[in-house]
Amino acid sequence: MADPLLLDLVKTAKSYGINVGFLTSPHERDIWLEGFRTTLTLVATMIPVSLAAGMALAAALTARQRWLALPARVFVELTRNTPTLVQLSCAFLGLNMLISQSLGGAGQNPFGAFFWVVLVVGLHGAAYHAEALRAGIEAVPDTTLEAARALGFNRLEILRWVELPLALRIALPTIVNNLVTLVKLTTVGSAVAVGEITYASIMIWTQRDNVVELMVVILVFFSAINLVVSQIGLWLERRLAVPGLGVRS
Amino acid sequence: MTTPVPPDSRPPLVRLRDVHLSFGATEVLKGVDLDVRSGEALSIIGPSGSGKSTILRCINGLIAPQRGEIHVAGTALHQLTREADRLALRKRIGFVFQQFNLFPHLSVLENIAIAPVRILGHPRDEVERHARDLLDRVRLSGKERAYPGELSGGQQQRVAIARALAMRPELVLFDEVTSALDPETVGEVLAVIRDLIRDGLTSVLVTHEMRFAEEISDVVVFTEGGRIVAQGPPDAIFHTNDNPRVTAFITGLGNREPANTGTEGRAR
Ligand SMILES: Nc1ncnc2c1ncn2[C@@H]1O[C@H](COP(=O)(O)OP(=O)(O)OP(=O)(O)O)[C@@H](O)[C@H]1O
Ligand SMILES: [Mg+2]
Repeated sequence: MADPLLLDLVKTAKSYGINVGFLTSPHERDIWLEGFRTTLTLVATMIPVSLAAGMALAAALTARQRWLALPARVFVELTRNTPTLVQLSCAFLGLNMLISQSLGGAGQNPFGAFFWVVLVVGLHGAAYHAEALRAGIEAVPDTTLEAARALGFNRLEILRWVELPLALRIALPTIVNNLVTLVKLTTVGSAVAVGEITYASIMIWTQRDNVVELMVVILVFFSAINLVVSQIGLWLERRLAVPGLGVRS
Repeated sequence: MTTPVPPDSRPPLVRLRDVHLSFGATEVLKGVDLDVRSGEALSIIGPSGSGKSTILRCINGLIAPQRGEIHVAGTALHQLTREADRLALRKRIGFVFQQFNLFPHLSVLENIAIAPVRILGHPRDEVERHARDLLDRVRLSGKERAYPGELSGGQQQRVAIARALAMRPELVLFDEVTSALDPETVGEVLAVIRDLIRDGLTSVLVTHEMRFAEEISDVVVFTEGGRIVAQGPPDAIFHTNDNPRVTAFITGLGNREPANTGTEGRAR
């Protein structure tokens, strides 16, 4: 099964004092590769979840109805002010257990650890996005809103076509910042045994003496993801830039 | 086929009766009666704070008076309780603001097209064709892709007029649309409005441009302290009126034009 090229690579690495021997074990190699895939999947689901929930939360925060604005405010404060790891434990060990019980056993529960990580960390990011967007929404002048109302826009149409597009442009740098943090937060998944890259690496390095090697790979991996995230952010910022509006004109 | 109806027996497009409105303890409108007929241009003149903008906002339902009746285009606005009904009416009434209030993130073409496309649900290609015609009408062909931030005040105001017209409104309300403009660009905006009125647009204009009001209006009303204190054809208001307040206001403004700093003669 072991590829001669791979064996060669492992040997060469070893001559330089780098221990990547686990690559010759199909089992450990699979765990490791699955770790990369899981982290990327987490990132790819969490970012859209956080953005969609962030917009909904921002809409609720700026709503005129108290029954919308108040719960949204309480949620944002709770989420921002408590440790994500504890939130995740509460959700996975507490909420998830209750759901399992009420459905008659863990086998009936459609939600797994992956779901709870996406939900908890995604909503954590959403709280930060929402605060950034709220500031942007509140910066839209009343006169602009009055013009929209005079044209027959209703409250939701104003939000969709006027407030959010303007708020997004103002909030984009902050949102990209939040997303970078969110990418790093995927590692809390290891606390509930989601096999993302840090969890996979820990499994491997507890068997072998290669902590430094795997650490370096993790650092490079996250740097690469976040480089892509911030480049996309910059590209979006440039694309959405409008002459006479905002900093970049 | 039918015998033509004499114009004055038709119900007016806008009809205000005994409209009272207060903001908190401040009484702003103290019994306003107003009629605007189809195809007519009515100008509202009067000192700052006399309630001119408030009257316009009542006509399109942006604010609701506490007392009185407002009929607009067959709708009893004062009886509407649901916001959805007020929105439906607003789609049929154009509003042009002193500060233009264009959407800064949208190109000129999008500013004009967004409401017909997104609010009325009309097909985009048809709306864009209409938008280009309107741009031509306000003499801004070639500016489709520009953003509001790249245009002069006069150009922005003409886009705002096109944006209002894109909804094919039955009535357009103009609220001091030249007051925020440089004296040189006032003319280009007034020329556009003059053309529209000549083509039969029904309009209510709040303005401090006395000569313009005299030239284009069918009716001029003078407001003071939340009441209409004089109204009639332009000639009667500007030349033969016997109300000393109106005369003082008109000559006070007239003296300042055209070389002076502001285009408005407002005294607070
Ligand atoms: N939203 C509001 N809340 C409280 N008071 C208001 C509001 N809008 C207008 N007013 C007050 O109502 C009065 C009439 O205002 P309005 O804007 O109708 O005057 P105007 O004749 O248009 O004056 P101007 O020539 O300065 O535009 C003013 O005293 C103003 O301060
Ligand atoms: Mg006004």
